[in-house]
Amino acid sequence: MTTAISDVFRRLSSEREGAYIPYVCCGDHGKDFTIELMTRLEVIGSDLIELGLPFSDPLADGPTIQAAMMRSLSSGFKVAHIFDTITEARGSGMKAPIVVMSYYNPVVRIGIDEFCSRLSRAGGDAILPVDLPMEESDELDKAAADNGLDVIRLIAPSTDEGRAKSILEATTGFAYAVSVSGVTGERDQLPESAMSLLRRLRSQSGVPIALGFGVSNQDHVRAAMHAGASGVVEGSALINAYMSAGSDRAEGIRLAEAHATEIKNATR
Amino acid sequence: MTKPGYFGRFGGFFVPEVLVSSLKQLEREYATVAGDEGFWTELNKLLGAYAGRPTPLYPAKRLTESIGGASIYLKREDLAHTGSHKINNALGQALLAKRMGRSRIICETGAGQHGVATATACALLGMECEVYMGEVDVERQKLNCFRMDLLGAKVNVVKSGSRTLKDSINEAMRDYAASSNHTHYLIGSVVGPHPYPTIVRDLQSVIGREAREQITAETGRLPEALVACVGGGSNSIGLFYPFVDDEDVKMYGAEAAGEGVDTGKHSASVVAGKEGVLHGARTLILQEEDGQVSETSSVAAGLDYPAVGPEHAFLSVSSRAKYFAVTDAEALSGFHLLSENEGIIPALESAHAIHLATKVAADMPRDQSVIVCLSGRGDKDVAQVAELEGRL
Repeated sequence: MTTAISDVFRRLSSEREGAYIPYVCCGDHGKDFTIELMTRLEVIGSDLIELGLPFSDPLADGPTIQAAMMRSLSSGFKVAHIFDTITEARGSGMKAPIVVMSYYNPVVRIGIDEFCSRLSRAGGDAILPVDLPMEESDELDKAAADNGLDVIRLIAPSTDEGRAKSILEATTGFAYAVSVSGVTGERDQLPESAMSLLRRLRSQSGVPIALGFGVSNQDHVRAAMHAGASGVVEGSALINAYMSAGSDRAEGIRLAEAHATEIKNATR
Repeated sequence: MTKPGYFGRFGGFFVPEVLVSSLKQLEREYATVAGDEGFWTELNKLLGAYAGRPTPLYPAKRLTESIGGASIYLKREDLAHTGSHKINNALGQALLAKRMGRSRIICETGAGQHGVATATACALLGMECEVYMGEVDVERQKLNCFRMDLLGAKVNVVKSGSRTLKDSINEAMRDYAASSNHTHYLIGSVVGPHPYPTIVRDLQSVIGREAREQITAETGRLPEALVACVGGGSNSIGLFYPFVDDEDVKMYGAEAAGEGVDTGKHSASVVAGKEGVLHGARTLILQEEDGQVSETSSVAAGLDYPAVGPEHAFLSVSSRAKYFAVTDAEALSGFHLLSENEGIIPALESAHAIHLATKVAADMPRDQSVIVCLSGRGDKDVAQVAELEGRL
C-alpha cells in the first residue's frame, strides 16, 4: 500500500538522500510556537515531522523530552490540542507527513478508534506508539488501518533477528531503529551496536529504516546513512537548540532552524 | 483463552521495545525457577531462619471486644524482618536475580519499606543495590532513607514528575532499559508489565497460605472475610490469592481515600479509577479525562500510587473482591485504635485495613472470623503522626 510516508521514502531513495525527521514536542512554548517550528522545519527541508504527544509519565524519554513535556502539560496542554495543532498546520499549507509519537494511555483513554479517527481527520499520517509492543497492538493496528494511518514500530538493539523480521513485516511507513538500550537524549557518540543493528536490519528487509534515540549531530547522521539508515529522527538536540535561547521564542526558532539545517545537510 | 500475563482483560506487557527481550527472559527464567524445588527450598530456608516466618496469626481479642462483631485475627507481617511483608518478595526476587546471573539490583520505593527490604536482601546476598525514591517521599520517610544507607544501598532521589512512587517507577524503568543485561529490576508490588504481577503475587502468597493453615488450626474452618490495604496491592494479593477459589471467603481491599474521594486528593484507583495503561499494565488508573495520570494523595506514602495491580482490577470487575476507600482521618483512627487496644502500632498503610476491618467485623456475627493483613509496623510513621496531630 502506498501512503504519504512511503512516497517520501521512495522519492528520497531515488534521489539517494536520507529522511530528516525532527521530533517536536507538541505545545512546548505553546501551540503557535509548535506550528511555527514545524513550518520552519519543513521549509529547511525536513521530510517528515514526528510530533510528540506530551504524557505525564514518559518512561522511554530522557530528561530533555521529559522537561519539554512537563512544560507543555503545565501550561495547560490537553490531548485534543494535538489534533487542533495538526489541523492548523495543514491549514497554513504544511505538506510534510506527520507522525504522532504517543504513549498508549492517552490513546486508550480517548478511545483507540476515536483517537485514530481524529488524528486522520486532522491530517496526521501515522502513529508511533512508544510503549506498545506488537503483541499488544492488534486493536491499534486495526483502528489505524481503518483510518488510513501508518503504525510505526520500534526495533531495539536487544530485539532478536526473528522478532525484528516480524516487526519489519508488521510496520507500515517505516521502521524506527532505536540506537541505544536506554532512553531518548542528546549523546556525544552513538554506540557501534546502533550501526550493526542498522546493517542487520538492512540485510533483512527493504523497509525504510530511520534511526533515533541519541542522534545529535552530522557525524551521527553520516554514520547512520553509511550503515544503511533511510533516515534519522532527532529530538533532544533540537529542543536543546531552541531552549538555549531561553524565553526568546524568535531566537529559539532561529537556533532550531540553524541546527536542523545542519542535520538535514548531512542526509544529502 | 486468556493470554499469558492477563487477568481477564487486565495486565499484559505494554513496554518500549528495548525492554521486551529482558522481560521475556525474566518470564522464561521464572518459569524454570517456579518448577525448581531447590529454589523454593532455598527461599523457604531464608524466609524461616532469616526473615522470621511463619509470622503469627494473632487473635486481637481487645480490638474484637471493642467492636463487638466477628473475631478479628491479625496476620502479623509487621513482625517479619525489616518490619513489613516486603521482605517476602525482596528475598525471592533477589534469589531469582542471582540465578539469572545479575549482580546489580534496582528498585523503586514509596514509603521506603520496599527499598529497605530490597537493600536488606542485597546486603544478605552480596549484591549491588540502588533505590529510586521520590523527593517528596524522601522528605516524609527520612528514617527509611538512613536505613537503606546503613544497609549499603544507594538512594537516588527522584525529582521528576510528582516526585513520588509513580515517578520512582518511571525512573527505575529508565535505568532498567539501559542496564537490563546485568541488572534486575526488583519491582515491589503486583504492578508493572508481565511477568511481574505474577512473580510478586507468587512470592507474597506465603501470607495467605500460612494464614489459611493457622486459622484452620485455630478455629477448625476458614475465615468468613479477609481485609488488607491496597496501594499497588502486594500484601492484599498475598493474603487473598490462596483463598480465591473459596467462594464463601469474602475479600475486602482498603484503598486510600486521602482527604476524601470527592476532593480529588486521594489514591483510590479501584474505587475511582478508569481503565488505561500505566507502568506496563492495562489496569485501573486515576487519570484525567484525556489520559494524563493524576497526582495522588494519601497520608500513607505506600498507598500513594495512581494505579493498582492488574489482578486487583480483575478481582474487582469480576466482583470476587470488594474495594472501599478509607480516608486519612479514618486511617489515623485505626492507627490509634490498634495501638491503644492491642499494643501494636501499625504502619499507616495497614491502619487503612484496620479501619475497614472494624467496619466489616461490626456487621458480622460473633462466631465468625476476619483475617486482617497487618502488613507493616508503624515505627516509620510515628514522627509523621506526631507532626500531623501537632504533638511535635
